[in-house]
Amino acid sequence: MKLNRRKALALMGSTVAASGLAAPALAMNKKIKVGALRFTSHSGSFIAQERGYFADAGLDVEFEFFQAAQPMAVAIASGDVDYAVTAVSGGLVSLAQKGAIKVIGGALAEEDGIDGQKYLISSASYDAGIKTLKDLDGKKYAVTQAGSSFHYMGAKMAAAEGISLSFTPLQKVGAIIGAMKSGQVDGWSIVPHIAKPLAKAGAWHMVANVSDYIPGYQVTTVFTSAKNAADERGLTESFLQGFSAGVDDYAAAMIDKTADQDAMVDLIHKYVYTDRPREKAAPSIINGTMRLNSGAALNIASIQDQLSWFQSEGLVDADISIDQLVDRSYVDIIGA
Amino acid sequence: MSDMSRGKTVAFRGGGFAPKPQRWIGVFVFVTLILLAEWGTRSGWITALTLPKPSDVFDTFRELYESGLLFKHLGPSLSRLVVGAAIGASVGISVGVLIGLFSYIRSGLVPLVAAIFPIPKIALLPLFVIWFGIGEGSKYALIAFGTFTPTVVATYGAVDNVDRTLIRMGQSFGLSWWSIVRKIVLPGAMPGILSGLRISLAIAIILLVAAEMLGAQYGIGAYILEAGSLYDLERLFAGVVILSLLGVFVSFIIGMIERRLLGWRS
Repeated sequence: MKLNRRKALALMGSTVAASGLAAPALAMNKKIKVGALRFTSHSGSFIAQERGYFADAGLDVEFEFFQAAQPMAVAIASGDVDYAVTAVSGGLVSLAQKGAIKVIGGALAEEDGIDGQKYLISSASYDAGIKTLKDLDGKKYAVTQAGSSFHYMGAKMAAAEGISLSFTPLQKVGAIIGAMKSGQVDGWSIVPHIAKPLAKAGAWHMVANVSDYIPGYQVTTVFTSAKNAADERGLTESFLQGFSAGVDDYAAAMIDKTADQDAMVDLIHKYVYTDRPREKAAPSIINGTMRLNSGAALNIASIQDQLSWFQSEGLVDADISIDQLVDRSYVDIIGA
Repeated sequence: MSDMSRGKTVAFRGGGFAPKPQRWIGVFVFVTLILLAEWGTRSGWITALTLPKPSDVFDTFRELYESGLLFKHLGPSLSRLVVGAAIGASVGISVGVLIGLFSYIRSGLVPLVAAIFPIPKIALLPLFVIWFGIGEGSKYALIAFGTFTPTVVATYGAVDNVDRTLIRMGQSFGLSWWSIVRKIVLPGAMPGILSGLRISLAIAIILLVAAEMLGAQYGIGAYILEAGSLYDLERLFAGVVILSLLGVFVSFIIGMIERRLLGWRS
């Protein structure tokens, strides 16, 4: 692990040196605020902060923690937060249309071979004979809010199965878990580290993988204010550089297993599941492992599909173009 | 002393602070504010992120009406409001009158009402979902519970404020207990009960949005929450305007009931 860290730092040093002209613009020790949720999917930022990758990129980062993705998007729009990572939602698209924010990179993505998000059927419904996703026709499917990523995942599955779902907004993940446990709603989809333990505890059955229905799904994206994307090029590049270094460490430890996983779990545990002891938090952190795109690459095809779906549902204006939402100039664009 | 004989006219100065209704001033304030917002958003010193154009809000409202969605949202909301508020207000008035009339009930229930009044009813919503189900039951319960406590407090306050001398007079003339309650206490408490209802029904409208947070696909509250999560300010304001109109309408209905029931005052 020590070796890896040193290696990574050396690599960082060489990239900064190699970029030459960009380096003086980067090293200004600028104060920025990064919005985050206490989820493992935000580990890229946490690692970059703990291991000094942000500092190496000349940034003095302060985290601002949120309870949900939507307030974070509004905080970016109001300028209270500079950079954040979250799922593409209808709210995000509306704010982009109003010229407030831009998506500049990709983070969490579904990838074959890595356990991703699961479709679930509540135990009460399962016992009542709803065994497959097709049987959910006309049943209650839980979402946090209209236009959320849960709504998108449910709708894509329903379209593929040729069924119709009754989408039930319950605002919060906690409320949905309660409603699933008591059998008030029939179906849902969620990240594996929440899906697996409660499936074991008998709350619900995992019946399919989200990646089977939405291949290459770009779940979360890196975004910032339109002003930062347009006018603060050096700052934005510095942030992405530090963030990407954190993501690489995460992938090395958690997916490729070429670095010390225990040390990585310790680091993430400083931010995620802080209310639980280490031995209880560790399985959840490890179960939550998913692919964070290397170099914050963005799957533009997936973003386009999500945008088109929001438009077809009438959740956002039909005349928003993908370039109003995305600034392609910062990271590698994949899937185009 | 010639001044004295001529006399000096002194203007009447005891006019008091009697407020006179100025019918058009209220409308003028509304129109000015809306025109100001329209001008600001059009000229650009109010950004699209801060406030929607009032004319766009009006267009959204018209689309809502023309597509028929307005009534699809208004129907469930009104039924939730009517059923929930009817349960809460009728139980509240009954309990309030009982507290006003019987010492044992007063001693037992007043602390209980004081204890449940400050509970934010929204905090109990997840619990209500388990108790009453995710359908209409939990929504009725939330609105009923929210209107119940203010109604109780207003009602027993109103019963306490009934003129004691009237009750003593009734007793002196040998009226039965039931007659006194029916002919003196209830009519005497009615002004207080009705003004309490104005407050508790406004609270019912506020709670409508909270009640539709969980599991409602249609309803004004669900519409406003959806607009908020999509950051769609036009729809958000259109929904808020509907709630305001609902409040004006409820206030108008209570005004009619007051004129009907309190005719004896004039």
